[in-house]
Amino acid sequence: MTEGTEEPLPDSRNVPALLAALRTQHRSCTVAVTGTPGGSIHVRDGLVVAMETPGAPGIEGLLLRSGRIGEQAWSAVRASDTTHEHLAAELVDHGLVGAAELEVISLGALFDAAFALSLAVPDSWEVTGPVPTLYRNAGVTPERLLDEVSRRINFLAGEPGSVAALARTRMRPASTAHLPEPADRLPARHRAVLAAADGRRTPRDIAFALGRGLFAVMIDLRHLLDRGLVRPHTPPTNGRPSTAARIAPSAAPPSAMAPPSVLDSASLPRRLPGRNSAPARRPHD
Amino acid sequence: MSSLDAALGRALSTPGISGAAVLDAVTGLSYAESGDMSASQDSCEIAELARTRLVRAGASGELESVIVTTSTRHLVTIQLSRQGDPLLLCATVDRDRTNLSSALRELSLHADELLA
Repeated sequence: MTEGTEEPLPDSRNVPALLAALRTQHRSCTVAVTGTPGGSIHVRDGLVVAMETPGAPGIEGLLLRSGRIGEQAWSAVRASDTTHEHLAAELVDHGLVGAAELEVISLGALFDAAFALSLAVPDSWEVTGPVPTLYRNAGVTPERLLDEVSRRINFLAGEPGSVAALARTRMRPASTAHLPEPADRLPARHRAVLAAADGRRTPRDIAFALGRGLFAVMIDLRHLLDRGLVRPHTPPTNGRPSTAARIAPSAAPPSAMAPPSVLDSASLPRRLPGRNSAPARRPHD
Repeated sequence: MSSLDAALGRALSTPGISGAAVLDAVTGLSYAESGDMSASQDSCEIAELARTRLVRAGASGELESVIVTTSTRHLVTIQLSRQGDPLLLCATVDRDRTNLSSALRELSLHADELLA
């Protein structure tokens, strides 16, 4: 709301350079980033306080989807503060969420959105006046934001496929995941991710479904991938349904599929319980 | 002042505790740090290792704490369960200024305050 009196921003090569310029000028503004996923970066007094992007769950998604706050209570608080300027204080004052807890969620969503935005090159960006938004933290310097984002990229990198490709990959449980033994030894957190990986959801979709951060879900998926419990879902290359044999003839001798007596006694092949899963654990790709 | 920083400041007023940090147990993100806390992200890795190895070894129940002891200090990591991914409260404890059990008791008090 103090526009017009401020010095013009130098042309920025990229968003980090823009944020660094905003930091030196102690600006309060909102940067609208267009692209896929795109989003908004909220800057107060040069420090980044919030980021929103369709690429990662925001504070609202984390509070509601995880069940911390009920829809009704949320709507009631939102209705009392239409500008969202005091939403954070309202939530704490109503006892809906602890002050430290909201701070943790606010910072977590901020760094997670920065990570999601960093996975694609933005088309363009525009600096506008400060848009009121929900946040509760003292603000983060652009340097710290960059450091944390590169730490996250490095943490996930070093495997086949880039981090951005992993974020887009639909995951499905590997056949071994149906065996009770390996899944039972997993922490509850990993079991929830495994249950949410249905072959249609990308890591982003799983994060939204569980009300957890994108990076946290990708760490868990990487762990499950390494243990061979999930695998990337590869859609069929053509529209025609496959007519290939369901069982590779060379994969196992016929005696491993069914006892010969069963095959001899009936003219039609019979399904045998438990014989549908893959005979051996195959390495994931 | 942020609520997290205030809680850590109170923890640091305990004699013998020279550093404290609140981390995300899954992502390793540091939410707040105060005092001498140089190796906080390592604490997250150590805790994750302990957690997955214990489950794989057949241990039931949640991880509560990991204590790494050197000749001069304890590096105490307490897992704080909450709705969602847990947090880690890490603290550097000087061995010649306090003992481990009283430091642990103090830290659990601060942990309860943090999540209140």
